[in-house]
Amino acid sequence: MATVEQAPAAAPFIRQDGKDKVTGLGRYTADLSLTGMLYAKFRYADHTHARILRIDTARARQLPGVFAVITHADVPDVRYGAFVQDRTLFAKDVVRFEGELVAAVAALTPEIAAAAVELIEIDYEPLPAVADVEAALAEGATLVHEGWADYSAADEVVRDGNDCSRSTIVKGDIESGLASADVVVKERYVADMSHAVPIEPHAVVAQWNGDKVTVWSSTQVPFMARAGVATTLEMSEADVRIVVPLLGGGFGGKCEFHFEAQVAALARAARRPVRLVFSRREEFVAPDHRREGQVIELETGVMNDGTLVARRGRLVLDNGAYGADAPFFPQLAAMMAVGPYRVPHVSVDASLAYTNTAPSGSVRAPSAPQSCWAVEQHMDSIAGRLGIDPVELRRRNIVKPGDEGSTRQVYDAIGAAETLEKAAELIGYGRELPDDEAIGVACGFWPSFSMPSGAFVKIHGDGSGTIVTGAQECGTGAVMALPLLAAEVLCMRPEQFTIVYQDTDAGPWDAGASGSQTTFNNGRAVIQAAHDIREQLLDLAAEELEASRDDLELGDGMVRVKGSPTKSVEISALAETAAGDKLLLGRGSGSPPPVPDVDASGCTGRLGMESWVGPTFITHAVRCKVDRETGVVRVLEVAAAHDSGRVLNRIGADGQVEGGVVMGIGMALSEGIQLSDDGRQLNPYLLDYKLATASDAPPITVHWVEVPDPGAGPNGAKGVAEPPCVPTPGAIANAIAKVTGARVHRLPMTPTRVWEAMQS
Amino acid sequence: MRYDATLNVNGDSYSVEIEPHRSLLSVLRGELGLAGSKEGCDDSECGACMVLVDGQPVNSCSYLALQTQGREIVTVEGLTGASGELHRLQHAFLAEGGVQCGFCTPGMLISAKALLDSNPHPSEDEVRLALSGNLCRCTGYQGIVRAVMSVAAGSP
Repeated sequence: MATVEQAPAAAPFIRQDGKDKVTGLGRYTADLSLTGMLYAKFRYADHTHARILRIDTARARQLPGVFAVITHADVPDVRYGAFVQDRTLFAKDVVRFEGELVAAVAALTPEIAAAAVELIEIDYEPLPAVADVEAALAEGATLVHEGWADYSAADEVVRDGNDCSRSTIVKGDIESGLASADVVVKERYVADMSHAVPIEPHAVVAQWNGDKVTVWSSTQVPFMARAGVATTLEMSEADVRIVVPLLGGGFGGKCEFHFEAQVAALARAARRPVRLVFSRREEFVAPDHRREGQVIELETGVMNDGTLVARRGRLVLDNGAYGADAPFFPQLAAMMAVGPYRVPHVSVDASLAYTNTAPSGSVRAPSAPQSCWAVEQHMDSIAGRLGIDPVELRRRNIVKPGDEGSTRQVYDAIGAAETLEKAAELIGYGRELPDDEAIGVACGFWPSFSMPSGAFVKIHGDGSGTIVTGAQECGTGAVMALPLLAAEVLCMRPEQFTIVYQDTDAGPWDAGASGSQTTFNNGRAVIQAAHDIREQLLDLAAEELEASRDDLELGDGMVRVKGSPTKSVEISALAETAAGDKLLLGRGSGSPPPVPDVDASGCTGRLGMESWVGPTFITHAVRCKVDRETGVVRVLEVAAAHDSGRVLNRIGADGQVEGGVVMGIGMALSEGIQLSDDGRQLNPYLLDYKLATASDAPPITVHWVEVPDPGAGPNGAKGVAEPPCVPTPGAIANAIAKVTGARVHRLPMTPTRVWEAMQS
Repeated sequence: MRYDATLNVNGDSYSVEIEPHRSLLSVLRGELGLAGSKEGCDDSECGACMVLVDGQPVNSCSYLALQTQGREIVTVEGLTGASGELHRLQHAFLAEGGVQCGFCTPGMLISAKALLDSNPHPSEDEVRLALSGNLCRCTGYQGIVRAVMSVAAGSP
């Protein structure tokens, strides 16, 4: 059989979309302008919970320059939702959060559109608002969805009133486990909600051609957007084309189906193309996807030597007003509540409470940074109680190959322990520090996501190639790196390939820029499509060289006879032959890696997270300085050691860690949604909701523990993009506690909260 | 009421008729068709709209277009040479992994140019301070700081 010998030497990797991005010539959705285009503006709810008694759009329609005003009455009466079909495109009868859409206007100018939405008359009957998760689950609480029981939902979702999705993880016998422990430590933590905050706000442009609509959208998941438009506007998916121009970041905030259907419906009603661009305030209150708040109660039984024996957990996650993709978060959070440790007795109960706040949804490693922040502080509390060094406590309990997780998944090739040792070594754990500085350590884990995906590879008559993929580039460079994979299989150069991407009419289905899945799944598809081409090249070369196919090999842009270097043919020559006959067209998909066996028989609310394909492991060690007078914390240095299996694109992977760590610093110290009692966000601007700046960001050392996982993605690769923000807040919390002697039980750990913790 | 105005952008002169409340950003992106400068917040918080006015970096979302008459404006489009060759900063941002989604990049490049024009050999802390008015959510700023430092190191 033919084999691949040498791939061309790796050149510095310059992303193909890079030149457009540095010259300012690249176009994002908000940069698009079409002939006759109108401007969209939404009318949002005036209450966070109220019954709609009357909507009158007559005055808005009469305003000169207004071409369309639409409400629920103007679109199909369809309920949708990934797990629970609990919402409609525009509010029907009841509004449930401040960013809920009641109506939309299309007008000649943004100013006219803004004036018109104010002319829409709406009468409400206010209802009691539920803004707190514990209150939402209390006996007799106001129901956010009175008709919840009539909604259709996925069979596995366990629901009851305001609990949109409950999940439990059960292993061993928690009561006897706790009873057998030398010491039991019990704590409670509360994490505020936070936001994805891509620097590009949402934008959508829609244009109809007959019965077909093209929607340009700043979405991370174009195929889900397509399905959403088709479902809610009752169209065929083939009649909906989603195109994503350059995408200005997402971090989950642009996952799922958002505003494509409303803008398409406006464009149809106005019979003109329509563009929607969010303001920064809208990006905070109406994006339908924020990181959920959590209440985390942990009780752990441990032996005097540090061996963990039992973990009980109760978590309540804030769902907001609609389920979106959050119903699988309780199961994820329940898995996170145990951490990457051997614990024989486990009982975790996690709920997802409806409240009258913005809907939660996938934001970079949903549920994980918050729950990890609590679990890793809890680990340090346990270490303190036992008088064991925190790193030593983790060393004694962290999972190793052959160990089993809380659903009895047996870990195969993993490097969790190596990440712990490496991070501690890189930061110089144990060294002498000034008395206002300390090093905190936290370990975390996170699954990879096994999904279908597809790609085509075409080789043209001149020997250049094009990859046609359904994958979505959100900035990570994952799609930009696909030529590296195709080139490796075909012994060509990456720059010989162009990429056609983020157009649902061109590429095969893909789950989009979500779940760290692009390289993991679309990488597999591209490699398989390239192998399809490779087989075709070997057939052509066998004929050309009059050699047996089995004697051929690819190398240096040629197919040649093994051992006879003079008998060879350039791939470009084969491509020229093919261009006049049977074309070189490769297709790839490949079945997603199967999920590992588990025993989750005692668990409820099983939505697929009981079994983790390609689990990734992370340890972050941070050195922090705390001002005891003010509670201000500065992160001075971060060492990040990651096991993401084999790393396929180092510059891209490093960029994910650097960005994820700084996002984690923001979550740890400043990023939190402040709410009024009735669930309105009090800080929907970037001055009040503060991201880390270049001055706040410390030097970050990245280390990859490369343990290829045969059960994972291409060449043993696992997910890369989400894990980097998981343990950072917990590591910072542990450093703060070391300096101050006080634990901060609320996230974000603002100066006020740090100072207050020191006083108590 | 509209006023006639002449804007000098990237060495080109544009005659426009604009209302006094119009921001420089809206005129650049609208009448002038220079969409490289981005709107991320319309509130001087994110820096994606940053341009140079007489060499000083300003948030063009909060700068009145009429106030720039008689001044020299440089946008990200003006960094590229006449024959399309990349500015050293543009090249370094790509080589050092300073570009991911690219939405903050135009403003970052402008802030970086303003810094190096006034201080060709900044310390890393000075670079971080100079860029702290530009938010980036992708890179953690590491690749961007590396890029600016590498250009500074190569400066005479």
